[in-house]
Amino acid sequence: MKTTSKAGILRRAAAGWHLFALSFSRLFRSRQTLVCALLLGLASIAVAAWSLRDERTPAEFIEQIFLAVFVSFLLPVFSLCYATAGLAADREERTLVYLLLTPLPRPLVFLSTSAASLLLAAAWTVGGTTLLCWIGGPAGRQAWGPLCPAVAYSTGAYVALFLLVGVTFRRATIIALAYALFIETLIGNMPGIAKRLAISFYTRCLIFDAGAEFGIGASGPSDPNLFIPIAADSARTILCLLGGGLLLAGLLVFTFREYTR
Amino acid sequence: MTTICQIDRVSKWYGPVIGLNDVSLQIRPGITGLVGHNGAGKSTLIKLMTGELLPTLGEVRIRGLRARSAGAKRFLGHCPDVDAFYEEMSGRRFVRTMARLHGFGRREAGERTEVVLAQVGMTDRADRPLATYSKGMRQRIKLAQALVHDPELIVLDEPLNGVDPVGRGELIGLFRTLRDRGKAILVSSHLLDEMDTLADRILFICRGRILASGSLAEIRTMLDDHPSQIRINTTQARQLGTHLLALDLVQAVELKDDGELLLHVQRVHEFFGQLAEVVTRSGIDIERLRVIDASTQAVFDYLMNSFNHPR
Repeated sequence: MKTTSKAGILRRAAAGWHLFALSFSRLFRSRQTLVCALLLGLASIAVAAWSLRDERTPAEFIEQIFLAVFVSFLLPVFSLCYATAGLAADREERTLVYLLLTPLPRPLVFLSTSAASLLLAAAWTVGGTTLLCWIGGPAGRQAWGPLCPAVAYSTGAYVALFLLVGVTFRRATIIALAYALFIETLIGNMPGIAKRLAISFYTRCLIFDAGAEFGIGASGPSDPNLFIPIAADSARTILCLLGGGLLLAGLLVFTFREYTR
Repeated sequence: MTTICQIDRVSKWYGPVIGLNDVSLQIRPGITGLVGHNGAGKSTLIKLMTGELLPTLGEVRIRGLRARSAGAKRFLGHCPDVDAFYEEMSGRRFVRTMARLHGFGRREAGERTEVVLAQVGMTDRADRPLATYSKGMRQRIKLAQALVHDPELIVLDEPLNGVDPVGRGELIGLFRTLRDRGKAILVSSHLLDEMDTLADRILFICRGRILASGSLAEIRTMLDDHPSQIRINTTQARQLGTHLLALDLVQAVELKDDGELLLHVQRVHEFFGQLAEVVTRSGIDIERLRVIDASTQAVFDYLMNSFNHPR
C-alpha cells in the first residue's frame, strides 16, 4: 500500500513537472513573446537614443528611463502578458477541460502553470532591466544592481494579481490591461495614502531607497510631501505578502470554481 | 455487475434554473446511451460525472471516489463535445501530452499513444497539425486522448459528430470492443438510429429528470399506453387477421390494400409466442414481420409525449 501511495505521488509529481514544461513551452512560443520582444525592442531604441548624450547620470537614467518607461508600462505589461496567457487562455480557448480531466489535483495544476508564467515574466522583466541598463551606458550599468531586486519583487506581485484575475474573470487580458494602464496609473498618482493600493507605489519606494546613493528620491510629481514613501523593508514585506496572498487567492478560486465551457 | 459510477440523488441548480432534478443512477460495464433534447440535462449530467460541475445536492462517485477528486480521474476518460485542442500540436503529440499529464513516463506514454491511435484509426495521419484535421479526424483524436490511460469509465459526448458513415461503423465497433473488455461507456448522442444497435441500456432524460432507463425492449414494454405496432406481410392477410383478433394481446388489426396487416399489440414478446402458435396451427405463411415503433426514436417520442401530456 505504501509503495502504491509513493508511486502515486511520484507519478503526480512527474505529471506536474510535465505540465510546467508544457505551459512554459506553449507560453514561450505564444504571441505574448512577440509582443514583449517588440515592446522591449522599442524601449531599447529609445534608451539607445537617450544614452547618446554624454554625461548622463544614474539618477537621470532611473528617473527619465526606468521609472517613466519600465516601471509605469513595461513591468506590468510583461507580467500580464504571461500571467493571463496561462490558465486564462486555456479557459478562453476551451482547452482547460483537458487539464481538469487529468488526475492532477487542481492546486497542482494552478501551481505548475503559474510557475511557468512567473518564470517567463521574471525573465522578461529582470532580463529587460538588464538589457536597458546595458544599453543605457555607464549610467545604466551603475543603476542595474539596485534596480533588479525591486523589479523581481514587483514582478511577483503583478504576476500573482494577474493570475488571480485570469482564474476569476473571463476576458482576463482586457481586464488586466485596463488595470495596468489605467487603474494602476490613476491610483499610483493619487495624493495621500490612496496610492498605497497600487503595486507601483511599493516598486517606487524600493527604487527610491536603492537609488538613494545616486541622489534620487521622491521629487517633482513624486514630491515627498505628496508621495509619502515607506521604508524599503516595509515595501519589500508588503510586496511579498501581496504576492503570496494573491497567489493563494488565485489557487483557492481555481480549486473551488466550476469552469463550464 | 460492478457499479463504476454511482449518482445518488443529485440535483444541480443554475441560480433559479434547475439543470438536474434528484437523479439517481448507476453506470455499470456496458454501453449506456444518454438521450434527450437540447437543454434536457445531458450536458449537466456529463459535467457532474467528469467533475467539471459540483452537485448542488447529492453525490457523484466514480469507483467510490468523489467525481471531482483527482483520484477519480484515473478511472475516467472523457471525450468532450467542444472542438478545441492545442492547435499547434500534431494529433500524436497531443495524445502523448495527455498521456504524460496522466503521469506516464516518456516511453510508456509513447507506447500507449500508438496503441490508441491504432484503435481510432489515426496511426498514419497523426503527425499533421491538429489545425489541419477534418471534424471526423478531430473526433478520433479526442477519443484517443480519452482512452490513452485505459480508464474504466468512458464518457463520450456526441462522439460520432462529424464522422463519416464508414468511420461511424469503425468507432461503433471500437465501442463494442471496449464494452467486451468490461468498460463502462456512457454515450450521449442525438443520432438515435445508432443508439438502437449501439446501446445496451438507454437513459431517457427530459427537463433534468430521468424519464426511463433500461434496455430499449424493457422500456418499450413498459409503455402500456402505446401498444407496439407490427407490420406483417402475408398472402392470407384476412385469415391471419381473423385469427389474431381473437388474441387478448391484440388490441387492433388493420388490413391494408397491399395484403399487409398492421397490428397494435400489448407485451410484444408474449405476443410473438402466441403468433407462433397461430401460424403453426393455421399453416399461414408469413413473408415479413417488423416491429415498427421499437426504435430509440419511437420510444423517445412516446416518452416525451407521455411526459408532456400526462393523463
